[in-house]
Amino acid sequence: MRSGFFKQGYGELVVLTDSPGVQAWTAALLIVMAVAPFLLSTYLLSHLTVILFTLVGALGLMVLTGFTGLISLGHVGFLMLGGYAYAIGVTRMDLLPEVALVLSAVVPALFGLIVGIPSLRLHGLYLAITTLAFAHIVSATILGGGTFTGAGSGIMVDRPVILGMDLSSDEAFYWFCLAVCGFAVLAVLNLRRSYIGRALMAIRDNDIAARTMGISLVRYKLLAFLISAALTGIAGALMGIYMSFISVESFPFLLSIEALAIIIVGGIGSVLGAVFGTIFIVTMPELFAMLMSAIGGQLADAMTTMAHEVKTILYGVAIIAFLRFDPRGLRGIWHDLRHAWVFWPLRY
Amino acid sequence: MSYFIELVASGLAIGAVYGLVAMGFAVIYKATGIINFAQGEMGMLTAYTSWSIAVTLGTDAVSTVLVSIAVGAVLGLLCERLIMRPMLGEPVLSVVLVTVGLAVVLRSVVTMIWGAAPHKFEVAGADTILQIGGIGVRTSQLTVVAMLLLAIAGFWYFLRHSRFGVAMRAAAADEKTARLMGVSTARVQAVAWAAASGLAGLAGALFAVIYGLAPTIFEIGLKAFPATVLGGFDSILGSAASGLIIGVLENLVGGYLSSTLKEIAGFVLILVVLMVRPFGLFGEKRIERV
Repeated sequence: MRSGFFKQGYGELVVLTDSPGVQAWTAALLIVMAVAPFLLSTYLLSHLTVILFTLVGALGLMVLTGFTGLISLGHVGFLMLGGYAYAIGVTRMDLLPEVALVLSAVVPALFGLIVGIPSLRLHGLYLAITTLAFAHIVSATILGGGTFTGAGSGIMVDRPVILGMDLSSDEAFYWFCLAVCGFAVLAVLNLRRSYIGRALMAIRDNDIAARTMGISLVRYKLLAFLISAALTGIAGALMGIYMSFISVESFPFLLSIEALAIIIVGGIGSVLGAVFGTIFIVTMPELFAMLMSAIGGQLADAMTTMAHEVKTILYGVAIIAFLRFDPRGLRGIWHDLRHAWVFWPLRY
Repeated sequence: MSYFIELVASGLAIGAVYGLVAMGFAVIYKATGIINFAQGEMGMLTAYTSWSIAVTLGTDAVSTVLVSIAVGAVLGLLCERLIMRPMLGEPVLSVVLVTVGLAVVLRSVVTMIWGAAPHKFEVAGADTILQIGGIGVRTSQLTVVAMLLLAIAGFWYFLRHSRFGVAMRAAAADEKTARLMGVSTARVQAVAWAAASGLAGLAGALFAVIYGLAPTIFEIGLKAFPATVLGGFDSILGSAASGLIIGVLENLVGGYLSSTLKEIAGFVLILVVLMVRPFGLFGEKRIERV
């Protein structure tokens, strides 16, 4: 006679969640996301697409900063490399879009290794500056690269046909981003609970202790850079396809800050946090603009002329406010809400 | 040869600006163990504020310098009291990211208030050209080098001989013991922020006088990073000296190679230096203790 819950077989042991509630809600979310193009307006659909590919990039930074604790201010460099690797692969080298997309992960990953090498010797804050330097060097190199990189004039990117799927319509591109994003979320979720993920988090919590436990700092710090750069590079390629045009100006330093804001607002070190953070950070400027135009008058004019500045201030204030008042981020707030809902009217 | 000397001379001037900002980085790092990524932006805000003051009141050269130091110091105190003090005791990662947030906010606030169009920072006598050893140097360029030397001397004296300077070094060496000896680490942090921001303000204002006032002034902060890294974050005087090295290097690269390379010369240099000496040229070697 069974007298409790038992796991019988490997399938039950390795499954991501054994809660029927979580499984049901996830399935519902996936179905809603899949049929979203039929329900939403073009504007909302493109907004959702932006959220999806931003999430891929945010997950990339999450692996590096959230899991491994290495601050990177240069993620826009990897984003740029990914975008340009795809664009150059398709337009200059006439590669298949599929191959170019793989290239957009491989090229940044290789550069991630190069940036990662100093990280083995550098103490936290020196690394932040090295990555900053890296981003500047990448953009200067692309600007000085002549016709091969398009220099200051940028490269036009056509919507490709990938795996027999024509991405020229917004709906098709949305589904493609949804698939990529789904894979990225699954990959990072699984990474987090594997040996690699635990090694990375051990390095974050105390690198000397991790070393005494037999974790090779060289291997795992480089691996963190590699995975992070690859994910961010794919996000860069998707961003390039979405905008149909890439130039150095479309990758401002602000994107590095945006990515940091996402993982801080969401909650450092959690995949769910990255999802919440991305939705919050991408939606906030739009909501703010709507609010201002509802108030109307001078404020609305200021919003349109100063859009970039207002966005920057919002990101900065979000970073400061969350670190100051709730370092756990949105994920912590979600956690509290869920507990309050489950245990009401009791407190715990 | 005269081209070379001219490049070196103007490189020293811009290097002195970097040196002042880099000293600010080192002061804050030494006192509190964090890097203030908003340093360049504080210089930017100070430069714009002192420009507004100079335009409305019509101040002369000496008072412009004094105003910029004062505005910078007050700004530093405000930021420290309102934003950094509540973060005392938080992990380094959080505190540093707060300064990153502060940096982007300040940058945008300045652009929103004063607009993106460049201005000329007019100070009487600043553009007078002096002939020294066959090359023409503007008085403003000489001033900034003199200011850097003055700041170096001042800081050396302050850290070595004044009571508070010794307290500051004690707090940097071992915060807990310093507190037990009656040093208020909160006050040390406040003074460090005021001093660093004053230096950044001075650098920002002088940069604006020499090269004009534009929203890209905050880049002196970015350019000063290599200087601080080269000197080592914990070496205030080393950072100041490295500022001059970076300035001259940048100008030589810009003059002989290309202007794109000029922008990243400093960064490439520090990547190489960090590979060889991860704690900077003059920095103290960090020993890991468990």
